[in-house]
Amino acid sequence: MDRNQILREILSDNELCEKYKIKEINKITTTPPYNNKLVEVLSVIINENDNNLSETMIYKKIKNIHNIG
Amino acid sequence: MASIINKISFKNFFNYYGEYDENTTYEFEEGVNIIVADNGAGKSKFFNAFLWLFYDQILDSDDKIKKNVKDVAVKIISDKAKNETAIGDSVETGILIEYSTGMWKYQIIKSFTATRIRENITSFDSWQIIMNDVEVSQADHVLPRFKPVYDADEKNNIIKKLILPNLRQYSFFQGEEVDSIIDFGKKSSIEEAVSTLTDISKYEELVELTKAFKVKAEKDLNKQIQTGQEHNERLDKAIKLKEELEKSLENDEIKLKEFENLYDLAEQEKNELEQNFSNAEKRNELDLKIKEKNRRLNEAADEYNSFLETLNNRFFDGNFSWISLGFENIETEFQEKIQAFREIHYEKKAQKNRDENPNQHFHFLPLDSPDSVSLKNMIDREHCFVCNREAKIGTPAHDHFIKLKNRAIDSKKDVEFVKNNLEAFFGGLQINAQPFYNKIESIEESILKTREREISLNERLTKLKGELKTLKSQRKDLLISGNEDDDPQVIINRYKGAIKRIEQSSFQIEKLKENIRQLKTKIQNTEKEIQSLRPADVPESYLLNYQICFDLANATEQARERVFDNMVNLLENNANKHFQELIKYNDLAGGILKFSKTPSGSITFDYIDKEKNIVHGASQGFQIMKKFSVVMAIISANTSQYNYPLIADAPISAFGEGFTEGFFEATSKVFPQSIVLIKELYKSNDEMKINETGKKLLKDNNVKTMYVNQVNKGVEQVELVTTKIKLK
Repeated sequence: MDRNQILREILSDNELCEKYKIKEINKITTTPPYNNKLVEVLSVIINENDNNLSETMIYKKIKNIHNIG
Repeated sequence: MASIINKISFKNFFNYYGEYDENTTYEFEEGVNIIVADNGAGKSKFFNAFLWLFYDQILDSDDKIKKNVKDVAVKIISDKAKNETAIGDSVETGILIEYSTGMWKYQIIKSFTATRIRENITSFDSWQIIMNDVEVSQADHVLPRFKPVYDADEKNNIIKKLILPNLRQYSFFQGEEVDSIIDFGKKSSIEEAVSTLTDISKYEELVELTKAFKVKAEKDLNKQIQTGQEHNERLDKAIKLKEELEKSLENDEIKLKEFENLYDLAEQEKNELEQNFSNAEKRNELDLKIKEKNRRLNEAADEYNSFLETLNNRFFDGNFSWISLGFENIETEFQEKIQAFREIHYEKKAQKNRDENPNQHFHFLPLDSPDSVSLKNMIDREHCFVCNREAKIGTPAHDHFIKLKNRAIDSKKDVEFVKNNLEAFFGGLQINAQPFYNKIESIEESILKTREREISLNERLTKLKGELKTLKSQRKDLLISGNEDDDPQVIINRYKGAIKRIEQSSFQIEKLKENIRQLKTKIQNTEKEIQSLRPADVPESYLLNYQICFDLANATEQARERVFDNMVNLLENNANKHFQELIKYNDLAGGILKFSKTPSGSITFDYIDKEKNIVHGASQGFQIMKKFSVVMAIISANTSQYNYPLIADAPISAFGEGFTEGFFEATSKVFPQSIVLIKELYKSNDEMKINETGKKLLKDNNVKTMYVNQVNKGVEQVELVTTKIKLK
């Protein structure tokens, strides 16, 4: 199962998409550039988990997305 | 690309005697490949080659235990090869397997060399075993020249790639193991199968990650509030309350897990006992029937035995008189002879008496007349009533009356001319024989009736013995998944106990789920309160980080459940599709396999009949068929194509004849290649050595190759060799 499919499956929740203004989830992929913070965070989680990064490392990457550290 | 086994060859491997040459080589193609063999014609030995390939083991047919090749090497060498090896000489035993995947072709040889050091060929001490290095070589299809692979890891990888280790349970099995392909009694067995073959585990990882990030993001956010803001009592309180609620939630979730675990264990026990329970009930029922049948058998046996005992009596018993059979004319002969005897006897006696006292032996009247009362009257009245004349006292006529009256007394004074006149003996014979000769006419009929009775009693006894044997054999069959020592009542009680525990834990699970739901609502409300109490100047990025992590945790959890449910639905559909294919040629059609979620969240499945009733305790073959459908469903539900062959030894031995065709049809749709060793198609007295189903399959386009294995019967073990006929 490819990463995009997982991403789209998790995003296939109308309430969530509405809240974060995500449109056309069929075209969304886990590869940058990202137009949406939530999509970016989720993509990073999916990709980096596949790259076997630890939980702490992935969270650091998420914090970097928000420029917090 | 799928792994396709091109050929397998043997070298002095069990009864596969000889070098790696055409006599010991089986070539296979993509599609269905069948090897038909009667018992003892090398099915399991063939399968052992793959056990050696994958696990360096073989299944010892003596005790059905898997053993390391090096420990039982002497058993593996062909007896004929052993016998032909002189002391001091060596013999090599091995297997050669060639398979291709995509553009590559691989050849693997596993072998050992045995040197004979003593006389007795079967003794392990008579041989020195040296395991040879595994030889692996590879070639591409363009230039099909094999080049050796030297790296040990690479060699292992090539062997693994034939059928991946985690998939071998679905793709590589022996008939008796089919039952354990997936042990559906075990917790989450379908989930495990789904995770093996699909990426559901990815979702599970993401659920764990997003949950952890939510906690981290919340901590980070709260830290910002505490470090950046002055003390806010209400906010602190709300945060504390949320922490407490979360703690309670955590506790309840632990408790829930425990109860789910209890539920699963009870469910597992129930499933394990399902067959046994049904068997136990049947065993109980059968035990009663056996007891009753035994009683009737004993009665019949007693009746038969006492009947046999009385047979002798019938020869001498006057009611039957069998002894006199064939003596029909004896009675007349006897009468004639005794008459002649008496005549002569009395003649001689009379003559002797007359000679001794001639004057006493002339009577006016016959000896026995008149009677004594008349004589008395005649004496008293001095008159003869016989001739109506006067007979005065003192006259010879009156004296004759007196003489006649005293004749009985006088006769005693008769002098016998022989010591024993045999009168009593012959008289006795006559009297005793009377009941016998009266029956002579009916003896033949009496014997006939007795024989009929004997046959009928014997038939009844044989019938009862047969019925008892059937009952005992039925009872024995029920032990397949049970234990002889298990008391049926214990099984029934354990089963009922498991059901009770399922109900109890199910109740607790529901209760805890409700608690958890309430706690979650409280946490959500507290969260809202916290959000409203948060100071306005909390950094936006922390807030957004928390919000996103919070929402992602929920969304991922929901996605996992959705994907899982979809997968289970897909499995259910596929399983039913395969199940219908498997039972196509059987009269089982009608029901469906139904998957359902247990309160603990795991998946169980049942066979539901037309009336929507769960069918329990069906035959073992049917149970295996049910499981096999799910296995095939798991394989075909895999999003990518299943790339491994099915290698199965006697997979349908428990299914019954009706499933054979369906099995081959279904497997050809799921597995890119299947190599199936089967005895059900064997027919010894057929020219081709296969039965009608075999001939039908031979014409089937899905069946690419078909071999029949044979052994030279009636020869010494050291001459035993498996040979093959290639039918296709």
